[in-house]
Amino acid sequence: MSSTAKNPSIIRRSFRRTIFFIIAILAIGSTFEPYNQAQLAVVLIYFIGVLSVTILTGISGQISLGQGALMAVGGYTTALLMTNYSISLWIAVPASIVGAGIAGALLGIAAARLSGPYLAGTTLVIALAIPTIANRFMSVFKGDEGLPVDVGYPPSWFSNFFGEPTYEEWQLYVVLPFAAIALFFASNLLLSRTGRMWKSIRDHETAAALTGVNYSRQKVYVFIIASIFAGLAGALYGLRGLVGPSVYPVALSLTLLTAAVLGGIRSIFGAFIGTVIVVFLPDWIDLVLDNFELSEQVSNFMPALISSLLLILTVVINPAGVAGGSHLHKHK
Amino acid sequence: MDTFLAALFSGTSRGAIYALVALGLVIVWRGAGVVNFAQMGQAMFSTYIASTLIQNGNPYWVGFFVALFAGAALGALLDILVMRPLSNKKKTELLSSESMRAAIPVIASLGILGVLQALAGIIWAAEERGFPAPAAQEGFTVAGSVMPFTSFDVFVISIVLATLTMTTIFFKKTGVGLAMRATALNQEVARLSGIRTNFTRTLSWAISGAASSLAGLLITPTSNLSPNTLDLVLIIGFTAAVVGGLDSPAGAVLGGFILGLVISFVTFYLSPEDVFLSILAVLLIVLIVKPRGILGGKDSRRV
Amino acid sequence: MLTIENLTTSFGSVIALDGISMSAQESKITTVIGANGAGKSTLLRTISGLESPTSGSITWEGQSIVGRKPEDIVRAGIAHVPEGHAVISELSVEENINMGSLFRRRTHKSDVAASLEEMYQLFPRLQERRKQLAGTLSGGERQMLAISRALVSRPRLLLLDEPSLGLAPLVVEQIIDCVNTLCRSTGLTVLLVEQNANTALGVADHGVLLALGKVVADRPAAELKADSTLRAAYLGY
Repeated sequence: MSSTAKNPSIIRRSFRRTIFFIIAILAIGSTFEPYNQAQLAVVLIYFIGVLSVTILTGISGQISLGQGALMAVGGYTTALLMTNYSISLWIAVPASIVGAGIAGALLGIAAARLSGPYLAGTTLVIALAIPTIANRFMSVFKGDEGLPVDVGYPPSWFSNFFGEPTYEEWQLYVVLPFAAIALFFASNLLLSRTGRMWKSIRDHETAAALTGVNYSRQKVYVFIIASIFAGLAGALYGLRGLVGPSVYPVALSLTLLTAAVLGGIRSIFGAFIGTVIVVFLPDWIDLVLDNFELSEQVSNFMPALISSLLLILTVVINPAGVAGGSHLHKHK
Repeated sequence: MDTFLAALFSGTSRGAIYALVALGLVIVWRGAGVVNFAQMGQAMFSTYIASTLIQNGNPYWVGFFVALFAGAALGALLDILVMRPLSNKKKTELLSSESMRAAIPVIASLGILGVLQALAGIIWAAEERGFPAPAAQEGFTVAGSVMPFTSFDVFVISIVLATLTMTTIFFKKTGVGLAMRATALNQEVARLSGIRTNFTRTLSWAISGAASSLAGLLITPTSNLSPNTLDLVLIIGFTAAVVGGLDSPAGAVLGGFILGLVISFVTFYLSPEDVFLSILAVLLIVLIVKPRGILGGKDSRRV
Repeated sequence: MLTIENLTTSFGSVIALDGISMSAQESKITTVIGANGAGKSTLLRTISGLESPTSGSITWEGQSIVGRKPEDIVRAGIAHVPEGHAVISELSVEENINMGSLFRRRTHKSDVAASLEEMYQLFPRLQERRKQLAGTLSGGERQMLAISRALVSRPRLLLLDEPSLGLAPLVVEQIIDCVNTLCRSTGLTVLLVEQNANTALGVADHGVLLALGKVVADRPAAELKADSTLRAAYLGY
């Protein structure tokens, strides 16, 4: 990552992207109803989580179905700091990165020996097992009940300056800076020499090893970085009201993977597009289904059916996703 | 002592079913080079078909055999509709990397799982329903006391051992079995040998579909049936396959029994809460000590 | 007889075969020589159906085989031994050989058993190791195994891609001798791709010299072998 610092043009480009991102989100968010503002906040949270999949699977080629477990680690770290020590979320959320990073390092050390379906299955078991720790240590994690946390209310200087935001609006404002920082880092990382080296691991482990890349160690690094993104997403996800095992189910990991694949597994832009699709799809489907007389039994399962079908169609027709594969490759 | 026996018997009978699930995974892995995460979705679907037939007044065995057939047909269909187009895809830039080529079928199988579960919800509603067993589920009485072992358990264990024997003979001794192994190991050499690889892959999917439907039929009498009930079974079955060795049918069965016993003893002696953590522990220990599984042999991939 | 006309195969923007026309005469050994990257392997892979040509025709025994699948081309009597001792390491020696005759098992039951025995007579070392995994064999043994796998399909045309690659001279000689004997005694047509031009031209009836995907010479092997100008220009010795 030292190469990032040496290349100001990469930083400048990432910075421009980030500024554009912030302005676009604020502009769009201000036109939304509170419900959609809360949805947009979820988009930003998922986006951070999807970036962890983009880095792990799209860039380094390792497939993980356990990103939800790392989100849980981030969520619990934040919630414990906030409820037990009354630490401000502005400190507790960044601190969750440390917890997720450590979990990611442990996971990465185990995962460095695995590839393809072995890794997918192992991370799936992890996604299933980690949330059950909450019930194992009831006194700390409060079991299924979970730990209630939220974004609270804006400080008075904020309200005085910008006017009183709605709760949903405030959710969006809390999440946005973290999403922007995540975008900035991801963009820098992918454009940097480190990012290119990780791609070489993905393209051929043996060849990468021959060119002197210690790929097991690099795989662990990729895992740590991806876990940090997942942990951050998990911390913010919990701040929607509750941190508990039910908040981070196995399905969450699959949703992140679906979003990453739909949008384009190799591109940051794709990660965002995929996230928007996954979050808003149920609403769009409802809009369409309202015109038909369908029983609840059918309409309840329509979003899952359609997003799964989209996932299959994407990999069969164009595995590079909506954003295509070219986005990142221009910069090769 | 009673607890010990109960744990032992329940673990053996459960283990037999996990062995069957693992066997289904191994067949598609060996025959088509894909770990099929949709497998228990397929089993769930065909068990629903059996359940519907039985509820409409058909005898149990009609439902049973229709489900096996439906499982095979569904497996073949999924291969033809989804996996074959994937494997015959031209090598685009994305697919030129070996790890992405391994990841994409996994992602596709997750998509298939999602579709099957949503369809099952739409057709049969999401609430759990029971599923009948073909043999008594009351324990045998030995010297006046009821043992935690039922005729159904005997039925399950014997069916699984028969399936294992048939699969092993099929892969080792028959030409079609050889063709399937060759296809999975090296598609190009297989095709140059005149093997119709599209057909052998589809056949693997069909056989695995039937085997996992059998698992579905055998586990739902104790676990009930809903679109999601079999997810856990898949994860346990996968762990069993990896523990035993993804390349080895016998290993899959061994892994299944190990997992069944571990889960049962943890449930009886510790707490059900610890089951998943103990599965994870078993998986990690095996992967660290013997990454190819207990009967998986040496890593013979080319370097 | 195999006739190729104007055959072009490209990978994206890279043209590997650029309008090749040549033929392989019945019961003769034709060798295709040329430097690395001349398109020799692509030529064989296109004939056996592993690659599809962009244009041109391949006619085998009077019928076009362009666009047919590799597994059907084997059935039409063309067996391909690809580069790099292509055997399946995880299968036993006997399984590797049997693989090649699987598609004839029903129709030619007794001949399948006979063909296996023939291979063991041809390469007795394979019989000694018949239960061993192919991955445990030496390079030369693997090449013998790959050739056996191709021969039990009872081909009328054998495509051999660089059988000498990475092998000791003595083993190369043994394998080439074997192919020569087979051709002369059974009337098998052979298309032999070699980088080792001297060895190939020594045994072949006819030689085709490729450079950058084009045919630069197509002559009797002895004549080609004697042409020192061509040799110096394209083969570098």
